[in-house]
Amino acid sequence: MMATTAAGTFMAQAPQVAAAMPWLADAAALQNDKAVGWIKALRATGAEAFAQTGLPTVAWEGWQYTNLRALAAAKFRYSTDPVKFDAAKIPGNLLGTHRVVLVNGQYQAKLSNLPDHVTVMSLMEAAEKNVTGIEEQLVTLGDLAKTPMTALNAAYVRDGFVLVVAKNRDVAEPIEVVFFNAGRDAAIYPRVMYRLGENAGCTVIERHCGEGAYFANTYASITLESAARMRFYRFQEESDAGFHASNTIVQQHKDSSFEGFSLATGGKLARQEFRLQLIDRAISSSIGGTYLMKGQQSHDFTVLADHFEPDGKSVQHFKGVVDDQARAVYQGKIHVRRAAQKTDGYQSHHALLLSPTAEASAKPELEIYADDVKCSHGATAGQLNPEAIFYLRSRGIPHDLARSLMVESFLGGAIEKVSDQALRDIYLSRVSAWLAGRGA
Amino acid sequence: MLKIENLHVNAADRPVLKGLSLEMKAGEVHAIMGPNGSGKSTLSYVLAGRDGYEVTDGKVEFMGQDLLAMEPEDRAALGLFLAFQYPVEIPGVSTTTFLKTAINAVRKKRGEKELEPAQFLKLQKQKIQQLGMDPEMMKRGVNVGFSGGEKKRNEVLQMAMLAPKLAIMDETDSGLDIDALKVVSEGVNALRGPESSFLVITHYQRLLDYIKPDIVHVLANGKIQKTGGPELALLLEEKGYADFYDATEAA
Repeated sequence: MMATTAAGTFMAQAPQVAAAMPWLADAAALQNDKAVGWIKALRATGAEAFAQTGLPTVAWEGWQYTNLRALAAAKFRYSTDPVKFDAAKIPGNLLGTHRVVLVNGQYQAKLSNLPDHVTVMSLMEAAEKNVTGIEEQLVTLGDLAKTPMTALNAAYVRDGFVLVVAKNRDVAEPIEVVFFNAGRDAAIYPRVMYRLGENAGCTVIERHCGEGAYFANTYASITLESAARMRFYRFQEESDAGFHASNTIVQQHKDSSFEGFSLATGGKLARQEFRLQLIDRAISSSIGGTYLMKGQQSHDFTVLADHFEPDGKSVQHFKGVVDDQARAVYQGKIHVRRAAQKTDGYQSHHALLLSPTAEASAKPELEIYADDVKCSHGATAGQLNPEAIFYLRSRGIPHDLARSLMVESFLGGAIEKVSDQALRDIYLSRVSAWLAGRGA
Repeated sequence: MLKIENLHVNAADRPVLKGLSLEMKAGEVHAIMGPNGSGKSTLSYVLAGRDGYEVTDGKVEFMGQDLLAMEPEDRAALGLFLAFQYPVEIPGVSTTTFLKTAINAVRKKRGEKELEPAQFLKLQKQKIQQLGMDPEMMKRGVNVGFSGGEKKRNEVLQMAMLAPKLAIMDETDSGLDIDALKVVSEGVNALRGPESSFLVITHYQRLLDYIKPDIVHVLANGKIQKTGGPELALLLEEKGYADFYDATEAA
């Protein structure tokens, strides 16, 4: 009966894609809740858009290298029921004590612990209280017809949280956000808002992890008001059977700075998209990442740095290793609009293939409409240099250790851009652990 | 200490060493001289265990063990060291990290205790001073941006730190000016001792003015053609290798 309602509510105008329907099966029931009007409208818009596209295929622009066949074949169901979980399985903090915990996207106030001057609440509570900026940030901008993952997330907007740092507050200790996914074939659609007031500063560590099979499709909107500073460090450590899709939109105002980094080791199939919007002058924005993929894993970093106004600087710096039959993708674009003179843009991607059956694809792009800019990019894919391995071995360093040393030094080149020393060390130790786990 | 018997080696399916035999005792310095293409570098790489060479006959015994059956790292742990003709650049791995990893890997394999960081740094400092090297170079990637002379000095530094029983020096003199040659030779001479042997492979006699050999071999056409004392090197300098080509062609 619900499915019929869904069809009636969402799919009046355009032709639908049959394969999209199962993904929307639980969306209609959601509309019976007491959500505020704009949330209900957002769900309807999202469902309508997704019904017309379904999951993207390799024929889609931007999806040539990431095939969602395995996701399309799986069956995941969304539920509003409070999720049952074993709290002992949720990983403890990497640093300090401040944390936000989500289980299957549902905000767990009792497990969370926040510092002063930081406000956190569930998305639904924040919508009801009409927290400053929430509608503007969470009603998705852009063309949903071209962003099916975002549309699907919008169809289910309910879970997630809002984090606001008061203006002029510099929060010294990092805030860890744990997205713990408790499996059981759950479809999980958190929508998250981070907002840093004028001249505020904070470090957020996002950890995406879980057990069993699930599909976590997260949409995060970050707004940095003038002169705000954010460090955003992510660990994509989803379960072996987990699917991960995340879209992170960073909207930056004048003189603000954003430093992002993501380490990806988890998931069966994962795609992390970052859209950096430098909408005013003198903005600094950087995003980096490292992936370590093995077995049949597949990972995709898709990044857009979009310069609207003059004097902006953006950096994309990615490095990764791929082993066995794993696949990795990097798509990076710098878009410099006509007004964005004196833009300084840089992007690089370097992949190391540890096996002859591993694959890495890169699509670096520059789209420049201003005439006085400095933009450059570089991309390579290669193997460990056998001469270097022999050189190390001839000095007594065992083969495994020689390979590990080479991989660590290779990835170290990306991780060293992380300005927080403690995080840098954690990222490096994750690399060592991965190498130890695969028996180098 | 080292005994090579009737060694036949193919590189890229082509015979390069064709029955090479050689014996060295502990503490001796041997020089192998030969023209280009005689198999000098093949010999050094085969002894160190590099891929790409096929041993078709013969055997090599080092410290009483079957050297050719061992992995390169195990040969190093047993006390074999190859000073490369063309040292490899390894960006991202600092020289200090490389040396520390190598020393501790070798010590571990020998059943010795790994060096504490302070012990290691003290040893490294002492050796780089002896070799007149810039300590700043230790922070850079291995051999990255090093001049030819600095690379060779770095080879000698590694040798000094690892204290091998047999050091094979593959054309260490190539690309060195006379000052660098002196420094490198002094570094080698400081390591000479009753337990340390050297196999110095070179095209020219010049290096042997600084590193005085006990025994000189002439390698041509994949075989030792003649063995003698230091005077043999001088004779070669004077007359060249032509006589030995004739000898092999006749054979």
